[in-house]
Amino acid sequence: MDELNLEIYEGETFGLLGPNGAGKTTTIRLLNCIIRPTSGSATVNGYDILNDQMDVRRVTGLLAESPGLYEKLSAHEFLEFIGALYDVPSDIIPDRIDDLLKLFGLHERRDHLLEGYSRGMKQRVLIAAALIHDPPILFFDEPTSTLDPRAALMVKDLIRGLARDAGKTIFISSHILPIVEELCDRIGIIDQGRLIALGTVEEVLSQTGTKTLEKAFIDLTGGVKEKELLTWREQKGAAA
Amino acid sequence: MPLPKWYAVAKNEYRISTSRIRSIRPYFLYLVTGLLAVYVAFIAPSIVSLFIDDFIAFLLSQAAVAMMQLLLLLMFFWLLMIPITEILQQAQVAQLEIFLSAPVRPKDVLLGGFLGRMPIYAIAVTVVAGFFTAVLYPLGMDLAQIAIIIMIFILVLLSALWIGTVIAALLSTKLGKTSHGKDIGKALGVLIFLPMIALIYAIMGGGLIEALNDPATSGTYQVILGVVPSSWGAEIIVAFASSPGNIIAVGFETLTRFGGLVAFFLAALWLGTKAAARAYSLEPTISEAPKAKPDGALFKTIRYLGGAGSFGTLLVSMFKEYSRRLENLSWIAYAVGLFALVTIFLIGPEDPGSTLFTALFLLGFLAAAVASDVTLRGKENLFIYRKAPSGEGRFVRAMLAKGWLVAVPIAAAIIAIATALSPQATLASVLTSTGFVIQMTAAYVAFALGLFLLLPVPSENPKARNMTLMIVVMIMVFVSIGMFITSVEVIGGENALLMHAPLSWLLGIVFLYLGKRNLSRIE
Repeated sequence: MDELNLEIYEGETFGLLGPNGAGKTTTIRLLNCIIRPTSGSATVNGYDILNDQMDVRRVTGLLAESPGLYEKLSAHEFLEFIGALYDVPSDIIPDRIDDLLKLFGLHERRDHLLEGYSRGMKQRVLIAAALIHDPPILFFDEPTSTLDPRAALMVKDLIRGLARDAGKTIFISSHILPIVEELCDRIGIIDQGRLIALGTVEEVLSQTGTKTLEKAFIDLTGGVKEKELLTWREQKGAAA
Repeated sequence: MPLPKWYAVAKNEYRISTSRIRSIRPYFLYLVTGLLAVYVAFIAPSIVSLFIDDFIAFLLSQAAVAMMQLLLLLMFFWLLMIPITEILQQAQVAQLEIFLSAPVRPKDVLLGGFLGRMPIYAIAVTVVAGFFTAVLYPLGMDLAQIAIIIMIFILVLLSALWIGTVIAALLSTKLGKTSHGKDIGKALGVLIFLPMIALIYAIMGGGLIEALNDPATSGTYQVILGVVPSSWGAEIIVAFASSPGNIIAVGFETLTRFGGLVAFFLAALWLGTKAAARAYSLEPTISEAPKAKPDGALFKTIRYLGGAGSFGTLLVSMFKEYSRRLENLSWIAYAVGLFALVTIFLIGPEDPGSTLFTALFLLGFLAAAVASDVTLRGKENLFIYRKAPSGEGRFVRAMLAKGWLVAVPIAAAIIAIATALSPQATLASVLTSTGFVIQMTAAYVAFALGLFLLLPVPSENPKARNMTLMIVVMIMVFVSIGMFITSVEVIGGENALLMHAPLSWLLGIVFLYLGKRNLSRIE
């Protein structure tokens, strides 16, 4: 990261965009106290990420980009385990697990080991795990990248509901532009660790003088010129 | 004209197997050839010259045929196991999709895979053949005899590697399609060497050689050994040693046995290529989705022992994740098997002192095997704990408790049985030994856990796990021996274990603390 200066307001849904390797996941790991910054600081819900790590961890839920999963546990067992990690009271946890599994359409397979789940189903279990302690702030790192359209729609509706009806503050990192465009109140674009744009979608479009977020993104982060794309076919004997 | 497909597969396989040394890959073959030439011409003869009289006396003795048969049999099985172990531990069908979607025949895939690994295998073949040539040359054998002996080694070792490759391909396809199959593969990869270790121990201390030399008992063993092709080669080698420079004297034996070896190799080659189509298939298998059963008495007890609150849930979750992996259970079986083999073949139950002493070191291996999964699920799984409040501390405590709950009862059962089998055993001696081993195993688990946290293996790759496990076991054994010697020096042999125990606990606590500190630095 390179002098990232960013403020996210309570109750808003913020989207962090950037190409692969831009620093999105690093930002999320820093804000969840998974890694420590070499310099600088940040506060989450008023808690300092260097001095109040326990409090930061308690008030945040995280869906990681490449999350860890215990494949030899069932969905129910895994959620019970995560609930225990976040000290969810034992009288609440069974009902909450049932509710979440029903919400994500996994209740019938609650006792199947996670090793037998598809990637999309695993992703749904992980979203449920991020919600299990009902934190006020949620971080979603590429939340729909492995989901089918139906599940992706459900996750989008869920994020919208969490922001609108439950008042959660949501931080989404993604390079799937329509999702960010649809869900987020404000967006930031980072490239090579530096924040290069910040504001509502409209503000970013006007900053770049473009009509779509895709064009704005390419303008800001660079892309491959159209004419270069098929030069490989011009070589002699390349065609089969 | 396009290159043959097997050549493309072989080239790819060679690149994969030498990926770690890719910076020197262009010179690798020349380098190895040069080194092997030096080995065959100078090093092997120099080593052999130190013991040449003993070797010659042995080759001309009655025990030579049996010993040579067993030696070649061990080599045959060892080389057979290499490709099988490699594939079992990483059974996967993802790469198979590349081959099956390309215009390439299964036998080209099999042959290419075998030939691609051949340069690496050839090193082992040359080392073995070079050593035996150096041993046999001083006997005065002619060039034809030496050439036939080299051919015998090549045929025996190539047959083993080829059969291993075919079995590995068949197993890989069978097991690589499901998570459960992959788990079975990893477990078999651990246990597969136990029978060979049993054979080695039987030779070393089990009286197998004596039984083979005794006409009253050798009949059955000889019939069994005679069926194995490697034995045919062994008989020729010993026959040549008895008639150096005179191949005609043993012409008939040479012709039949060498012919048999060639025929065996060709038949294995032919059958292997025929089996290739069956080996490479992605036809779906019908398997029931694995389910978790409701918690039984064991898990309920563990949850209770963990305090029934959130720590109990953490502990039981870790226990489930651990005990549902056959690979983990296979390591326990391996440690128990090793202890049983050492006791049966090398020590004998009549010596309780040696049994206890051996147990102390082998149970270190058990403790390390049980603790070895601490970081295996990758840093992403460690991040689950780091993300949670006080997660890392609870993770280490739960891992320690899990290690104790697994290793301590097993260690207690093993030592109780082993000491009870001794003719001098009394209830007091059994209880004392068991109590001592219980607290030592608990200390070893803490020590091993600390070491694995200091040397994390954030990957499920069995090679990485096995390598770190061996390093940890080495450290534990050497440190343990060092502590024992210190204890003997300080308070004398009789009471040395009384000092050894607190020292082990001290090390366990220190290393666990250092390991936990290192855990928070993993990024």
